[in-house]
Amino acid sequence: MSQQRSSYAVGTGLFIVFGFAALAYLATQTTSIANVHQGASYTVEAHFANIGQLKDRAPVKIAGVRVGQVQSITLEPGREVADVKLSIDKAYDKIPLDSVATIYTSGLLGDQYIGIQYGNSKKTVADGGTLVLTKPAQQLEEMLGKFFGAGGVADNLGGTYTVWARFTNVGSLSVGAPVKMAGVAIGSVQSIQADPVKLDAKVTLAIDKRYNQIPDDSSAAVFTSGLIGTQFVAIQPGGSPDALKNGDEMILTQSAMQLEDLIGKFLVNGSSSDSKAAGNGKSSDTTPGKH
Amino acid sequence: MNQRMPQDNNVVIQSLTQIGNCGLFLLTLLAAIPRSLRYIRETIRQLWFVGAMSLTIIMVCGLFVGMVLMLQLYHVLSIFGGTSASGMVVALSVYRELGPVVTALLFAGRAGTSITAEIGLMRATDQIDAMELMAVDPIAYVATPRFLAGLIAMPLLTCVFCAMAILGGHLVGVTWLGIDNGTFWSNMTAEVDLHTDIVNGVLFKSLAFGAVVSLIAVFQGFATPPTSEGVARATTRTVVASSIAILALDFVLTAFLM
Repeated sequence: MSQQRSSYAVGTGLFIVFGFAALAYLATQTTSIANVHQGASYTVEAHFANIGQLKDRAPVKIAGVRVGQVQSITLEPGREVADVKLSIDKAYDKIPLDSVATIYTSGLLGDQYIGIQYGNSKKTVADGGTLVLTKPAQQLEEMLGKFFGAGGVADNLGGTYTVWARFTNVGSLSVGAPVKMAGVAIGSVQSIQADPVKLDAKVTLAIDKRYNQIPDDSSAAVFTSGLIGTQFVAIQPGGSPDALKNGDEMILTQSAMQLEDLIGKFLVNGSSSDSKAAGNGKSSDTTPGKH
Repeated sequence: MNQRMPQDNNVVIQSLTQIGNCGLFLLTLLAAIPRSLRYIRETIRQLWFVGAMSLTIIMVCGLFVGMVLMLQLYHVLSIFGGTSASGMVVALSVYRELGPVVTALLFAGRAGTSITAEIGLMRATDQIDAMELMAVDPIAYVATPRFLAGLIAMPLLTCVFCAMAILGGHLVGVTWLGIDNGTFWSNMTAEVDLHTDIVNGVLFKSLAFGAVVSLIAVFQGFATPPTSEGVARATTRTVVASSIAILALDFVLTAFLM
C-alpha cells in the first residue's frame, strides 16, 4: 500500500514539475528575450541613427539570404545612437570591412531586418568588429509625419474641460479616441454629432485640466496613427495669448484625410523627405507640420 | 442538503435551486479545507488522477490546436502579406482564449466525469453513508481533496497545453510553411506580455475554470440519485453544466480582464 502511495506521489510530483516547466517555458521563451540556440556564430556591431521597428532576433540577410540574427539592441550611453549586435553564422565570415548595414522592411507592413551589402575592402570584419557604414531605418511614420501623428492611447484623465470643433469630415473618428498635442495624449473625444443645420460634424473634446494654456486660435485636425491605425484629434497650438476655456469652439479645423489623398501627397512630396531621412535621421523631426 | 430534491417542475426554479445548492456546497467545501489537510495523501492521489493522467490528452490536443491554428492563420494572413505575424497571433489566441478554454473543456470531459461517476457510485453503494458512520467526514475526505486537486491541476495542464500549442504552431509555421524562425519568435516575444497574457490569460482564467469544473463535478457526484441511471445522468450533467459554465465565465472574465 505504501509503495503504491509513493508511486502516486512520484507521478504527481513529476506532473507538477512538468507543469511548472511548461509555465517557465511560456514565461521565458515566448515573452522575454531569449537566445535561440544556433550554430557557431560571431558577433558584429553596427550603430544606427534609428532602428525603426527592428526587434531582437530579427533576421540579418546578405543578398536576401538569412545569415544570422540581431542579438541585442541597446542605446549607446550618452549618444542618440542605437547599438545593434548582430550574430552571424561562422560560415559567412568573409564580410568586407566596408560593407553597409541597412535596415529594411519586408513589404509595406512587414517586419524589419538588417541587410548587408558587401563593400570592396580586402579586410574582413572580425568577431567583435564593427560595421561602420550603416543606413538607418526608413521611418514611414517620419516620412508621413506631416500628415500623421504618433500612436498611443489617452491616459486615465482627472478633471477635464470640454471644447468643441466643427469638421466637414471626421473620417472614422470614434468617441473615446485620443486628443493629442505634440503627439502626447491630453484628452479624448467625448461626443460626435452631425449638425442638422450646418451639415457638418460637431466633435466635443474633453481635455485634461492640466493643459489649460492652449491658445484659443489653435487648430484641431483629424489624424491617423500609422498607415492603418486608428484616428485621433491632433491639436496644433496657435499664437494667441488667450487660452481655450470650457465650452469654447475651436475655429480652425482640418478634416480627416482620405488615404487616397495622403498617398497622392506622399508620392509628390516623398522623394525629398526620403533622401533627408536617409541622410540624417533627425532632419525630418524638425520639419514643421505643414501640408 | 443533497437529499432535498426540487419538488417544483418549473425549469427556472429547478436550475435556481441547483445553483443555490451548488453555492452552498462550495462553502461547505471551503470550510472543510482545514479538516482535509489530514488527508493530504488523498489530495495527492487525486492530483495524480485528474492531473497527471490527463497529460496525454492535453498534450496531443494542444499540439493539434496549435498546428491547425497556424495553418488557418497562415492562409488568412498571407492575403495581407502578414504571415510573419502568425506566430504572434497563435501565441496570443492560445494564451488568452483557446488554452484555458479548451483545456477546461477537455478537463471537464476527462476528469470531471470520472469524479462525478466515482462519487456517484460511492453514494449508490452507500460508501458515503458508511464513512459518516465511521466518523470520517465525507466532505473532507472525498469532496475537498478532489476539488483542490482540480484547482491545482488546471493551471498546470493549461501551461502544458499552451506550450504544446506553441510548439505545434512552430512545427507547422516554421518547418512546413517556411516562416522565418527568428521572426516567429521575435514577433511573439515582442507582443506577448507576461502580465496580461500569461498571468491574467493563462493562470488566472485556468484557476477559475479549474475551480468551476471541479466544483460542478464534485457537486453533481454528491447530488447523484443512488441509482445506475442517476449516475449516468449526473455524469452527463457534469459535462453540460461545466461546458456552459466555462464558456460563460470565459466571457465574463475576458470582459473584466481585458
